[in-house]
Amino acid sequence: MLEEIVMEKIIHKGAEANLIYGHWFGKEVIFKHRIPKGYRIEQIDRKLRVNRTLNEAKALIRVKKYGVNVPQVYEIDTKNSTIIMKYIRGKKLKEILDSLPNKKKTQFLREVGKNIAILHKNGHIHGDITTSNIILTETQDIFIIDFGLHDYSDYIEDKSTDLHLFKRVLISSHGNDFIICFDAFLEGYREGYGPEKIDECKQIIKNISIIETRGRYVKKEDRI
Amino acid sequence: MNQYSIVIINFYWVKVINRQLALGIESTAHTWSVGIIDFNGTVISLVNDMFIPEKGGLHPVLVREQHLNNFTQVLNRALSEASISIKDINLIAFSKSPGLGPILKIGAQVSRLLSQLLKIPVVAVNHCIAHIEIGRLMCEIEDPLTLYVSGGNTIISAYESGRYQIFGETLDIPVGNLIDSFARDVGIPHPGGPKVEELAKKALKYLALPYVVKGMDLSFSGLYTATKRLLESKDYGKKYNIYDVAHSLQETAFAMLTEVTERALAHTGKKEVLLTGGVAANKKLQEMVKYVSKEHNARFEVVPLKYAGDNGAMIGWTGILRYKATGGNILSDTQINPKERMDQITIPWRNKGI
Repeated sequence: MLEEIVMEKIIHKGAEANLIYGHWFGKEVIFKHRIPKGYRIEQIDRKLRVNRTLNEAKALIRVKKYGVNVPQVYEIDTKNSTIIMKYIRGKKLKEILDSLPNKKKTQFLREVGKNIAILHKNGHIHGDITTSNIILTETQDIFIIDFGLHDYSDYIEDKSTDLHLFKRVLISSHGNDFIICFDAFLEGYREGYGPEKIDECKQIIKNISIIETRGRYVKKEDRI
Repeated sequence: MNQYSIVIINFYWVKVINRQLALGIESTAHTWSVGIIDFNGTVISLVNDMFIPEKGGLHPVLVREQHLNNFTQVLNRALSEASISIKDINLIAFSKSPGLGPILKIGAQVSRLLSQLLKIPVVAVNHCIAHIEIGRLMCEIEDPLTLYVSGGNTIISAYESGRYQIFGETLDIPVGNLIDSFARDVGIPHPGGPKVEELAKKALKYLALPYVVKGMDLSFSGLYTATKRLLESKDYGKKYNIYDVAHSLQETAFAMLTEVTERALAHTGKKEVLLTGGVAANKKLQEMVKYVSKEHNARFEVVPLKYAGDNGAMIGWTGILRYKATGGNILSDTQINPKERMDQITIPWRNKGI
């Protein structure tokens, strides 16, 4: 008898969820299982896991509409707080970025910037844009994964915060080529945002430097 | 007296005379504390004087008043408990940041004065780093991820590329402040933490409260407002009681802290976890952080209560570490800095493997 749903092996153990590789009606899939946490009481644990699972699945489905490459959701299992989604075969940008030639680097980061801009333009905040959450497939396509911290917002502030996080990640993990990488990213971002909303886009980018001066305990003179 | 005991006594005196001592002065908030610690990390004496408000929180003017009145007594008691004279001190260390400005100033002024009078070096120390360093010393831990929770700070930090990097922190009020404020609202005098913990043990149910984790950062002010609303609601005392509110508050706040700690642990891959600060005394929090440490195969340690809260010994010890690595500060470098972040400071002694 053909087994319809098979979990094969855990490929990633995160702080919040386990990613399990497997098959679902003949398709290669990832089971993103939010694991119960024994340290918190049942009521908190249940609420967090179910809400986060649902929110993530909804976000994945909604951003599909705008042509952003994200994994296809096949099934949502709130009882086990699991999302079953398409397995994206490829490499994390984090692992390969440093070994790429500069031309490829700027090409891919432009593409990433474009995709993030499309999300932002339509009121979606990814919440955790890092190079580990971007996958480069064999066909040289960019996929954005892990919408666990996704949120809906049209505030410039939230969009800038999203970009600021990515900037911090680039500095800390890929410091050597930070400038060309981030410039390419912003270029793609402007392109993705489109000419009709160019003022908003400019404000978002300008706001990144304002956020940087605002952290806790930054001098009053430096605040804007 | 035979020959051997004379040798032993001589040896003892050589040891006593050769030992170098640091005087650590802690003055960032409600505690004025003087610790005397030798250069090998043995605490000789530690005397604390704590400001306890009659009502409300810490009023800087009143705290300053008390510290100014008491600092000589505390200093003298620390010296007499160590049975030494002030002239035996080789190094002065004081807390220069972060804290309440008027109070930091007292510590800085006293330290500069002593350093000038005794002609010994002075070192200005960051309070948060001191918390981590005393934890490393007392728990014999090498390279921990630190969860530092107190009335003034909530920081998740670990050593990386030359600094104690901040991985997560509170965006508004610290968790100790949250618990203290709640305690004040229900009429528990300062310090409220231990009593809130007792209240929570008698709870029968959990009431839903806002749970705000933004990436690795935390926000407690909404949680505080929500508990306040629960206390003001007309259902209070009917459908639920003070025990339930205390329990829900603790469970929610600590679950947030533990979640962020776990994320930082997964991110940094550290193999040791250190819990410190005043709130570290809470058994419930200890239990929860211990649980995640175990899941990530990390060793879990709580700093002994005497050294987890604000104390002079930690300032002295951090002063020693900095002095050994880079020498004393010149006077113009001993300015206080009430809003300094710990990740702005380089840690030269960690590179040398001390």
